[in-house]
Amino acid sequence: MSEDGILLSIQGLSVSFFTDEGVVKAVQDVGFSIKKGRTFALVGESGCGKSVTALSIMRLVPEPPGKIVGGEIVFEGRNLLALSEKEIRRVRGNEVAMIFQEPMTSLNPVYTVGDQIVEAIRLHQKKSTSEAWADAVEMLRRVGIADSQQRVREYPHQMSGGMQQRVMIAMAVSCEPVLLIADEPTTALDVTIQAQILDLLDELQRQNGMSILLITHDLGVVAERAEDVAVMYASRIVEVAQHQFSDNMETSKIGAGRLFAEPLHPYTQGLLKSLPRLGFSGKRLRTIPGTVPEPLHFPSGCKFHPRCPIGCGDRRCRTVEPKLREVEAGRCVACWLAPGYETTEESKEY
Amino acid sequence: MSKQVREKASWGVSYGELVWREFIKSRLSVASLIFVVFLFLLAIFAPFLANDKPFVIRLDSQLHFPIFRNLRPNDYCVFLAAIVGIVQLLLIRRNRRRIDPSIRGAVLWRQICISSSVIFIGGILAFVFVPRRLDATDYKALVASGKAADAIFAPIPYGYGRTDLPVREQPPSRQHWLGTDDVGSDVLCRLIHGSRISLSVGFVAVGISSVIGIFIGAILGYFGGKVDFVGMRIVEIMMAIPTFFLIITIVAFFERSLLNIMIIIGITSWTGDARFIRAEFFKLRKQDFVQAAVSLGLPLRSILFRHMLPNGIAPVLVNATFGIAGAIFIEAALSFLGFGVAPPTPSWGQMLSLGVGTTGRFLWWLSLFPGLAIFFTVMAYNLVGEALRDAIDPRLRKAV
Repeated sequence: MSEDGILLSIQGLSVSFFTDEGVVKAVQDVGFSIKKGRTFALVGESGCGKSVTALSIMRLVPEPPGKIVGGEIVFEGRNLLALSEKEIRRVRGNEVAMIFQEPMTSLNPVYTVGDQIVEAIRLHQKKSTSEAWADAVEMLRRVGIADSQQRVREYPHQMSGGMQQRVMIAMAVSCEPVLLIADEPTTALDVTIQAQILDLLDELQRQNGMSILLITHDLGVVAERAEDVAVMYASRIVEVAQHQFSDNMETSKIGAGRLFAEPLHPYTQGLLKSLPRLGFSGKRLRTIPGTVPEPLHFPSGCKFHPRCPIGCGDRRCRTVEPKLREVEAGRCVACWLAPGYETTEESKEY
Repeated sequence: MSKQVREKASWGVSYGELVWREFIKSRLSVASLIFVVFLFLLAIFAPFLANDKPFVIRLDSQLHFPIFRNLRPNDYCVFLAAIVGIVQLLLIRRNRRRIDPSIRGAVLWRQICISSSVIFIGGILAFVFVPRRLDATDYKALVASGKAADAIFAPIPYGYGRTDLPVREQPPSRQHWLGTDDVGSDVLCRLIHGSRISLSVGFVAVGISSVIGIFIGAILGYFGGKVDFVGMRIVEIMMAIPTFFLIITIVAFFERSLLNIMIIIGITSWTGDARFIRAEFFKLRKQDFVQAAVSLGLPLRSILFRHMLPNGIAPVLVNATFGIAGAIFIEAALSFLGFGVAPPTPSWGQMLSLGVGTTGRFLWWLSLFPGLAIFFTVMAYNLVGEALRDAIDPRLRKAV
C-alpha cells in the first residue's frame, strides 16, 4: 500500500453515546483508509455504527450524548478530530461533503433548490449571486436534471425523491470536494433510480477525481463499484477487501469482487448466502440465525459468536475478541477461525 | 392552455394562502380582524378625526390649513409607515400573481428591506426637518367672534391635550359625545388618540420580546445539553417572578415615558417565545436538512436563522398576537395605577383611572368607554391569535 495515495486514514476510532441506560459503544477501534479518487464502501446492517463513523469524519456526532472517545482521523495531513470548530467548518462542504439517506427531508422545505445550491456555492467560492445561479443551473444539468433552468426555481416538494437526491448531490459536489461521503444515498429510492444515482456518482467521480465513502447495507450496491470494501458488524470492522493492483488489467481485481468471490468472515459468508439470486425460487431465503446484539449488551468475545455457524463452540471465540489482521495482501479479517488468521502473532500468543 | 397559464396553475397554493383560507372560515375571527384594522385606521387618521384645529380656515381673506401646519413629526412617521405598509401589502398581492414562486421569497425580502429603510429614513427626516410648532391659536374662538370664516373642523373638534376647565367632568352630551375628563378634555378625542399609544405599545413591546425570545430560544434549542439546562433555569426564574410587579419595580427607577414602558414590557415578557422557539429547534435540529446544512459548512448564524427559524416561526407569530393583547393590557394597568405614561399623553388605562373623579364622585363615562376600548381591543387580538393558531395547525382544533 503506497502511503502517498491515501486521502483519509482513520485509526482506532471509538465513539460512544452516554445515555441514561448506559454507555453505548457505537464505534469501537475502527480503522481504514480511503485512497484518492477511489470508492470505499462501508457495509453493514442498521445500527452497526457505519453512519456514526461517517458522521465522525465530519465531526457531526451529536454531542452530547455522543462523544468521540478515541482515535484519529487524518485527512490530508490534518487530524480532523483536533481541529477547532472554525477550522472544521472550513473542511465541511469545501473539502468533505456529505449526502444523506433521505433526500425528502435533507432539503430545506422553505427555499427553492436553487437558493440552497447558491448558498452552498457562495459560501465557499467568491462569486456573485448571478454567477452562482448560473453555476447552480449548470450543476443541476450535470446531475442529469432535465429542464434545469426551470427546475432550479422549484421547491423540494415539487420534485420526486430521485430528483431531490440529485439536487443533494449537486449541492454536495458544487464546491468540488475531494471526499464525498454518501450515507445510504439510495436506500429511500426505488431500484431503477438507485442504479441511476450510483451511476451518477461514478460519473462525477470520474470527472472530479474525488474519493467516495459509500455507506450502505446493500451488498448489491457495493458490487462492482467499490474498489475497497469494509464490512462492519456490531460497531467493529470484521472484514476488509482492498483493490489489488496489477500491471496487467486482467488480473487486477476490485475489492468488492474479491469479497464476493471469497468471503473470509462467517458473517460476510452468511450475508452473501442470504442474497436472493436470479433463478432462485420456491424456497425461503437463507438467513443468519439469531438477531443483531443490542449495543448495550454486547456478547463477550467475538460479537458474532452466538450467531456464528462455525465458532459457537470455540472457547476463544466466546472469551477474546479478535482484532482485525491482514491475512493476505489487501485482505483483513477479524475472526479466530478464518483461514490464515492462525498464523498472526496474536493467535500464537493465545 | 398557454404556457404561462399552465405554469401559474402549477404554482399551487402557498402556505400563506392556505392559512388565510382557514382563517376566514370563522366569522368571529374575521370580525376581530376587521376590528383590528378599524383600530389601525383610527390610529393612523387620529389627527384628522379629532383635532381642535380646522382643516381649512379663512383668516383675513386668506386660506389657512392649520391641521396640516400643526402635524408633528410622529404624525408624518405614522402616515409614511401606513402608506409604505399599504404599498407593501399591494405588492405582496401583486407578487402572488406576477412573480415566479421560486424568487418570490427573495423579492419579498428585498421589498421589505426597502420598505423598512424608507420608513426609517423618512422617520429620521421627519424628526429633523418637521418644525415642532406650538400653535396655541383658539380657532373656534376666532370663528365665534367672526374674525375668521369658512372653517372646516375635524368630526370631533377637540384636541387631546386641550384643557377646558369650565366643562370638566361632564357626562356625555351633544358637544362631548362621550363626556369630558377632569380637565375638560373630550373623552372620545382622547380615546381615538389613545389607540395610537395602545397599538404602538403592543407592537414595539412584542417586537422587542420576540427578538429576545427568538435569539435565546434558538441558542438553547440548538445547543441543548448544559447550555440548555442553565438557560432554562434562568428562563424559569424569569417566569417565576410575577412580571407585573417586576415591571412596576423597574418603572420606579426610570422616567415614565412611553418608550421606557415599551422596552420594559418587552424585556420582561420574552420567556414564552423563548420556550416556543426552543421546543421547535429541539425538533428541527435533528432534521436531515439541518444536518445537511451543517455538513455543508454553513455558519451558525445561517443555520439558526436562515434554515431553522422559518421552519419554526409559526408558534411565535401566534404568540405575538396574544403578546400584543397582553402588552396593551399591561400598559393600561400600569397607567391605571399611575405608573404608566404621564398626562397629557392619552392612554386608555390612565383615562380609566380618572373614573373616580377629583371629588370622589364616580364618573361612569370615564370608566365605561376606555374600559370597553381596552376590553374589545384585547379580545380582538386574542381572537385573531386563536384563529391564527387554529389556521396554522388545523389538527390542534380537531383534538380540542
